[in-house]
This record gives sequence, C-alpha cells and structure tokens, in this order.
Amino acid sequence: MNFLKSTLAGSMVFAALAGSAMAAEDTIKVGVLHSLSGTMAISETTLKDTMLMLIDQQNAKGGLLGKQLEAVVVDPASDWPLFAEKARELLTVHDVDVIFGNWTSVSRKSVLPVIEELNGLLFYPVQYEGEESSKNVFYTGAAPNQQAIPATDYFLEELGVEKFALLGTDYVYPRTTNNILESYLKQKGIADADIFVNYTPFGHSDWSKIVADVVALGADGKKVGVISTINGDANIGFYKELAAAGISADDIPVVAFSVGEEELAGLDTSNLVGHLAAWNYFQSAESDVNAEFVKTWKATMGEERVTNDPMEAHYIGFNMWVNAATEAGGTEVDAVRAKMYGQEFPNLTGGTAVMLPNHHLAKPVLIGEIQADGQFDIISQTTEVPGDAWTDFLPESVVLMSDWKDLGCGMYNTETETCVQTLSNY
Amino acid sequence: MPTPFYPEFAESPDMKRLLLAGLALLLSCLMATAQDAPIQPLLQEHQAVIAKSSRKTIGPAIDAIATSGLPQAQVVLETWGAKSMWMRKSDGLFFIGKKADGKSYQLTDFDSGEVVGEFPKKELKQLKPNSGIRALIATALVQFQLNDPDRAKRQDALTSIQRDPEAAHLGPLRASIDNEPDSEFKAQKKRLERLLTISFDNDIQTRINAINEMSGDVGVDLRATLNPLVATTREVAVGQIPEDRNVAARLTPGTAALPRDEAYGLLVAKGFAPTQVTPDDIRTALATNITGGLVAGVPVAQLDTDAARARAYAALAKGGTVPPILSDAEIDAALAAHVFYDSYAEPSNHVTDAANDVLKSIELKVGANQALDLTLDALSLASIYFLAAIGLAITFGVMGVINMAHGEFIMMGAYTGYVVQQIIPDHTVSILVAIPLAFAVTFAAGVAMERLVIRWLYARPLETLLATFGISIALQQLAKNIFGTQARPLTSPEWLDGALVLNDVVSISYIRIAIFFLALIFLGVFLFIMKRTRLGLETRAVTQNPRMAASMGINPGRVNMLTFGLGSGIAGVAGVAIGLFAKVTSELGSDYIVQSFMTVVVGGVGNIWGTLAGATMIGFLQKGIEWLNPSNTLAAQTYMIVFIIIFIQFRPRGIIAIKGRAAGD
Repeated sequence: MNFLKSTLAGSMVFAALAGSAMAAEDTIKVGVLHSLSGTMAISETTLKDTMLMLIDQQNAKGGLLGKQLEAVVVDPASDWPLFAEKARELLTVHDVDVIFGNWTSVSRKSVLPVIEELNGLLFYPVQYEGEESSKNVFYTGAAPNQQAIPATDYFLEELGVEKFALLGTDYVYPRTTNNILESYLKQKGIADADIFVNYTPFGHSDWSKIVADVVALGADGKKVGVISTINGDANIGFYKELAAAGISADDIPVVAFSVGEEELAGLDTSNLVGHLAAWNYFQSAESDVNAEFVKTWKATMGEERVTNDPMEAHYIGFNMWVNAATEAGGTEVDAVRAKMYGQEFPNLTGGTAVMLPNHHLAKPVLIGEIQADGQFDIISQTTEVPGDAWTDFLPESVVLMSDWKDLGCGMYNTETETCVQTLSNY
Repeated sequence: MPTPFYPEFAESPDMKRLLLAGLALLLSCLMATAQDAPIQPLLQEHQAVIAKSSRKTIGPAIDAIATSGLPQAQVVLETWGAKSMWMRKSDGLFFIGKKADGKSYQLTDFDSGEVVGEFPKKELKQLKPNSGIRALIATALVQFQLNDPDRAKRQDALTSIQRDPEAAHLGPLRASIDNEPDSEFKAQKKRLERLLTISFDNDIQTRINAINEMSGDVGVDLRATLNPLVATTREVAVGQIPEDRNVAARLTPGTAALPRDEAYGLLVAKGFAPTQVTPDDIRTALATNITGGLVAGVPVAQLDTDAARARAYAALAKGGTVPPILSDAEIDAALAAHVFYDSYAEPSNHVTDAANDVLKSIELKVGANQALDLTLDALSLASIYFLAAIGLAITFGVMGVINMAHGEFIMMGAYTGYVVQQIIPDHTVSILVAIPLAFAVTFAAGVAMERLVIRWLYARPLETLLATFGISIALQQLAKNIFGTQARPLTSPEWLDGALVLNDVVSISYIRIAIFFLALIFLGVFLFIMKRTRLGLETRAVTQNPRMAASMGINPGRVNMLTFGLGSGIAGVAGVAIGLFAKVTSELGSDYIVQSFMTVVVGGVGNIWGTLAGATMIGFLQKGIEWLNPSNTLAAQTYMIVFIIIFIQFRPRGIIAIKGRAAGD
C-alpha cells in the first residue's frame, strides 16, 4: 500500500514537473524582483503592480514573438542579501528571460554579482547615485546629472540658496549622491561650513532635533535649502515634523529625490505645499500618452492610486525590451542587449527617451512643487538630458566613461584609454 | 433760471454750456491718464522674459511693473504671484485666468477688467513663477501692501520683508507703523523696522542704538541681521592697511591664525608675489630640459638626491629657462613688505563693535536655549519610549512573558486609529473614540493570545519567545493583506498642529507635548491599578507566588489573562499616539520593539519606576549623542546600544533593581 502511494506521488510530481516544463516553452518569463514587505514595500509594491499591468497589456496585444508573457513575482522582503538569493532563484529555477526590479541601490549592489555571473538582464527603474555601469543592467531611472545636479542648480540659481543641508538615509545612494553634491557645491563656491550633512537610519521617526538643526543654520543670514535623499517611510515623520515646526517652503525649501506621488499619498500635504521634488516624470505631466497611462492605471488599481517616476521608467524599459526582443527575434540576453542601444520610445511627459550605449536613458528633468492635493505642479522642465554613469564632479570618476556598444567596457579610462574592468564588483 | 451772483453767465447760456463741456473734457482726459493707460504694452515689452520665468532674468520686468505707477500694477503682480496669470499663445498677451468648465479657462483683461472669453487650455500657457520669482514679486509688492486695508495682504508684506529685507523697505515701513491698527502687526512692524535700521539706516548712531536695543534677543532674524555685518574677509595690502578698511584683526604670518605657507599663498593669489616652486615642478622642469643625457651640465644619473636636483635646477634658473626657487629670506622679505588683516564688510567700526558685543551677549543665551530645546526633545523621546514600553513593563516586567508581538499590538492600535478616522471624519472626536477603541481591540487580542498560546508556555520562556515572534510576523502580514503596504495617514486634530514656540530656538510640537502627558496619565493609571485595585493586588500575588496565590482563592489563570490583556491594551493606546507623530505602516511595531525591551531591561525588570528611569536615560542619551555627532543619527543609535551593553555589564539588574522576596530568586 505504501509502495503504491509513493509511486503514485512520485509519478504525480513527475507529471507536474513535465507540465511546468511544457508550460515554460509556451511563455516568455519576466521576473519581477520588488519587495512586497519590509520598509521598502511602501515604494516597491507599486512597481510590481505596474509590471503586471504592462505584461497584461502586452499579452492583450498578442504577447511577444507569438508567445504570451508570464510574470514571475518573488518577494525579497526589503532584505538586501535576500535580493541576491531571489535573483538567483529567478534565473536558475524559473529561467526568466529578463528581470525588472530593485529600488534601493544597496539591493541592486547585492544583485549585481549574481546577474553578471549568470548573464541575466536587469532593468533598474529608480533614480540612483551613478558611479556604476554593469553590462547586465539597464538603468532606466535618473543618474545624478539627470536629477541631483539639475535640482541643485535650481536651488543655486532660481531660489538663491547659499547654505545647504543634505539629509539622507544611511546607505549607499544618499552617501554617494551627497559626496557628489558636496564636491559640486564646493566647485560652485559654497564653503565647507555652509554644507550640513546628516544621515538617519531606515524608518527613522524622531526628527525634531534634526529639523531644529536645519532652522539654526539660518542664523548667519544666508538662505538655507534642504536636499533630501531620505528614503522610504522615514519621509512621513520628516515632513510631519517640518509642518509642525511651521517651516514654509518659502523660508527653507526642501527638494526631495525619493519622494513622489506614491509617498505623498500617506501624508496630509496641506502643510507641505511648495516643497519640491525633482524627477523625470510627474503624474501631472500634460500629454495624451500620460493621460492614457494614468487612466489605465486607475482603472486597473483603483481611482485613488497615483502614478510616479519609477513607474514611467518601467514603462519605458519594458517597452524598449519588448521592441529590442522583437528586433532580435528572440529573448537571448546578448542579442537583446545589442538591439537595446539606440532604442527610442516616447516618454510620458512628451518627447522621446533614447537608450544610450552606457545603458542609461536620455530623459528630461522636471522640478515640481507639492500641491495640496498631493500632486506636483511642474514649474521647470528641461529638454532631454543624456544620463551619465560616471559623474563629472568627483575627481576620481571624471576620467571614466561607459560604452558597452563600441568599447565593450563599463569603466573606461579616457586618459589612459584602457578598460579598467568589465565586472561591476567595485 | 438766472443766477443773481453771476449775471454775465445768466445772460449767455451758450457760454455756460461751453465751459461745462470744457470742464467735462478736461476731467475725462485726467481720468483717462489715470485709468486707461494700459499695462499690457508694458508687459509685452518684457514678454519674453516673463514667459521664460527665470529668477536670474526676471528682475527688470518686475521692477518696470512695480515702478510704472499704474494702478493695475498691484493686481498684475498679485495675480502673477498667485500663478493665476495666463498667456494666450496666439498673440502672447497676458490675462487673468480662471478655470471654467472642462479644459477651458476664462480670461480677463488686466486693463479693462472685462472677460475676454473662454479658451481651451491648449491655446494658453499658465505662468508658474517659482518660489525665487515669487519672493521677488512679493518684495516688489511690499510698497503697495504695507498700508492695505486687507489684513492678509499686510501680513504678506511683512513676511516678505522678513524674508528679503531691502533698504528701500525702510522708509515705507517706518511711515506705516503709526497707522497700523492691529497691535500684533504693529509690534511686528516695529521689530522689522529695528532690524532694517541696523542693516540699512544712513546714520551710524541710529544703527548702534538699534543694535543695543535688540540686545538679548535670541531670534534667528536678529542673528541673521548682525552676522553679515561682522563677517570678515582676509585681505592683504602693500605696506599699510588702507584707511577705509574696518579691520577686525591684524595677522602676523607664521602664527597659528595665519601659517606662513597660507600667508604666502595669499600673496600669490593676489598677484603680489611669484609662485613658489614645488618639488614636483622641479622634477617636471628637469625632465623637460634633458639635453643629451645632461640637465644643465649635470648627468641625469646623478640626479638621485634632492640636493643634486636643486643644484641642477638652480643652474637652469640661472640660465633663465625656469623661474628660480625662492629662498626663505626672499619669502620672509615678501611677507614683511605686506600687511595681512581680516576686514569687516561693514565700514563703520562703531557698528561692528556694537554688533560683536550684542552677538557675544546673545551667544550664551542661545546656548542655554539650545540646551533647553535639546532637553525638551530628550524628554519627548523618553515619553515616546516610555509609552511604547509601558505595556511591555506589565507583560514582560511583571509577568515575565517575553512578548515579541508587543510591537504588533502598538501597530494594531495605530491601525484602529486609522480605521476610526475613516468612519468619523472629525479628527478630535475620532481620536477620542480611537483611544478607548484601540484599548478594547488590543485588550481582546491580548486576551485571545494569552488564552490560545501563552498560557501553555508559562514555564518555557524560549518557546514563548519563538511563538510570539511567529505571531508577530503573522500579524504584520495580516496588516499588509488588509491595509496594503502603503503608509496610512493618521492625522492629528487641528489643535495639535504646529508647535509651542518659546522663541526661535526653543520649540516643541504640540503632538509631542500631548504624548508626554499621555505617558504621564498612563504612569498614573498603571500605578493606580497595581497599587489600589484588586486586580493589581492579585497580579502582584500571582507573579510573586502563583501557588500560594491560588491557595488563597485567587484564580491565577484569570488574573494572568486580565493582566496580559491590560498590557496589550496599553500598547494599543500607545499605538494611536505613535501613529499620530510618525506613520502607520505594518512595520510600525518592529521599529519600537527593540527600544521597548531595552527600556524595560535597562530600567530594571518588574518595576514601573525602572521603566520610567530607563526611558529617560535612553531618551537623554540618544539626544546627547546626537548633539555630539549631528551628522549621523544612525551612529548615535549604535553608540547608544554599545553604551547600554556596557551599562548592563555593571548593573545587570537595571537602574532600579528589585530586592528581597519580590525579586523571585
């Protein structure tokens, strides 16, 4: 009897395996690697939903290369080492053809060795600190020169800020961005004493002392501005404390690089009107494609849901991947990558995003003021700015450039004209 | 009817009519110049600049409008600043725009005040001045608004002066003080007048008087006014310090204030002396001057010491091919020929002296106030930790149950607050309802957990830890499934918005004060229940000796259940308070669980005063370390945990240790 049972079970397992193997041949698998729990879930869950929506839309249009797309969703739970585990699982167990995922830079750093080892393909949709170029990653979010530097210029020139408070969460993105900004500000003639830097842990909630420190900066009669690289739900406490302290955006403007429509949804924004954010996309952008995108999103997810910049990055990245795979006639990573260079796709703000040989996009930079309804009023929009993997404002990276198309190198020294290294294990 | 006094008019009615007509004509001409001169041509003159909307180029346009003397100027500037000015793309004319139905806007002409018509949004461009331009507009509007009957506009004018004080504001501001009907505004105007006087008045004595009058004031605005006066720049001059300089300090090269290299560097930067040759320069110069294996006659092979290189370089310099190395004597001579000094931007030394004196007197006061502010912050943090830990002080401190799900009870309380706010829109009422409801919900959850899980594990702390940890993860996931992963807003009632501001340095938000008092109330409630009620007595009896208590007729199971429920219920109420000042997410609890255990352990297990002392110590320690290391709050938390580990080594039973039979061993 027992023998019979185990044979039966064994054959059922076999049948299931065979079934899944057969199913795998009929579909093209798309990995979605976003935290659905933990401190980053506030931001990343939306991107998972975006990917599912985009895949559904593509399937409704007939899929890709005659096959249906199948999403494989895993939850790395805001646990950085777990991102590497889950990426390996996606590539080896589920055999996905492409991965869309990650939010924090520390999670991307954790995934890099895995996808480079297994020659995977990752589309990373969030603004980040640059200083990196992997053969296996397409960076569809903003590099510092597409977000941080234009926003700082805006502070210096349009708002006349003379003293800077750089507040950030303590991990690689804020630290590198603030390094770049410090170096940039010093080149612009801002003294050391006029730059205040502070790092706080993820999920920090006790902001009273830091807000008081920022107010005290104004004692020498200079205009103070805050550049915030605070990530995740710590922003809520920060903005609540700002509002409680009665700091108006006209006194001390705050420009945030990680606060979008989604983060503001958890806040009463009436006290935050006028504070700024710099992105490549805002929901309030006026164009027909955007109106259509927002409409579909709300129809899928509910009327109260909002769209944001990393969603647009996934929208562009996914469509470029679909087009590149169609041109390549298959989803093999190297073939798709070769077709990615020069891919053009209309972005949602009007205009066209172009994939550059350094795996970054050329996109416009937008600066918006927070409004009482939680949306942004776009007050400044540039033309398309090409993303720069290695910043020009740090002495050690000014000589570096990335060109995977012709030079085949992500870390090329233009002075010695040699490739420093091709792996991104720095 | 003939007028007896002016018979000649009466005799010629034609003449009278003529005169009246003439008067009317004259009057209408006058009215025309006052009203009909349109502002649109002026706007069109600056059309490109206004449409471009950049702070760097907008200045002349705003000035032109403000100084045009046209009555419409104020309306134009106010409309523009409020983002209500629109441009018609077809002809570039500017209008007041108002949203009509659908996607069209109703345009109104500035000059005639008449509605021009409705236009679809695509044919229009909204002008969105950024906050830099809005500040310039507000500054230009000050002259119109200072005496405006509308209180809000006067407020705008004062805020604008406060943000961007200008010399031109001083006159109009002074003139407006006497006519100010509002006493609050009058005080504000007087204060601003003093500050502007310090910066911009022509008479030195008046400025000094103003500075001395403001002595002892800790306002940031006063320091922002005085500090630029005493800001110094380092300068250097040949021979004597120029007469017109207001010298802060004369510096001697080679002292700590001005090292020799720095002094010489200053001379080089100002073009008073040639650049000193560095060893690197020598090496490059030698390398570029190798001719046939020799550098200035010295074989390259011999150039392996500094002395040899210096010799070869000197030979080159003699030939005039490279600049000579400067000797110490030459540098000294150059330094001696110049004077180095720090110079104030403000030319009058009387003013800078007075400003320095006042700043010095303020400094101590500001320091004291900052210490007070830090103390308030620390107290507030301590009260938050205490509130988060007080429930744990019962379940862990009194009953000895390691409840890892304590944080999730806090989270449940916060979500209860959120749900109540969805049903009851009035924030005050909803909070009043939420507090007892949060207690009820988490009390029930606590009782359920005690009955279902914990009571089977009373003698096995490790299993309790694992079981409650599992429950904590399950509860977090449940919250995610119900409420989603987005943070939910829990808005405090309006009367808790804002902060109690003692002065520009010391302020604390009302919500934190409320949390402080809530913590005090719960301390009282805890003490009352434990010392004055039957439940408290029974709880103490059961925790000290369950068997003895049982034989005295107490039902230990029931008491444990109620006590655990009480601890959980208090955690729920703490959740409402914490949600109000931070955020409501499913991770809310895990942010506080470590601090809560730390508070209870450091304070001394089993004693509410210990928990209070523990919270106070951790709060003050955290703020103290943050003050020492303002640039890294995360590091502050790390140092604090290190400190607590060391502290526990020396006082393993915490700050207040229970002695005697109650200690349990």
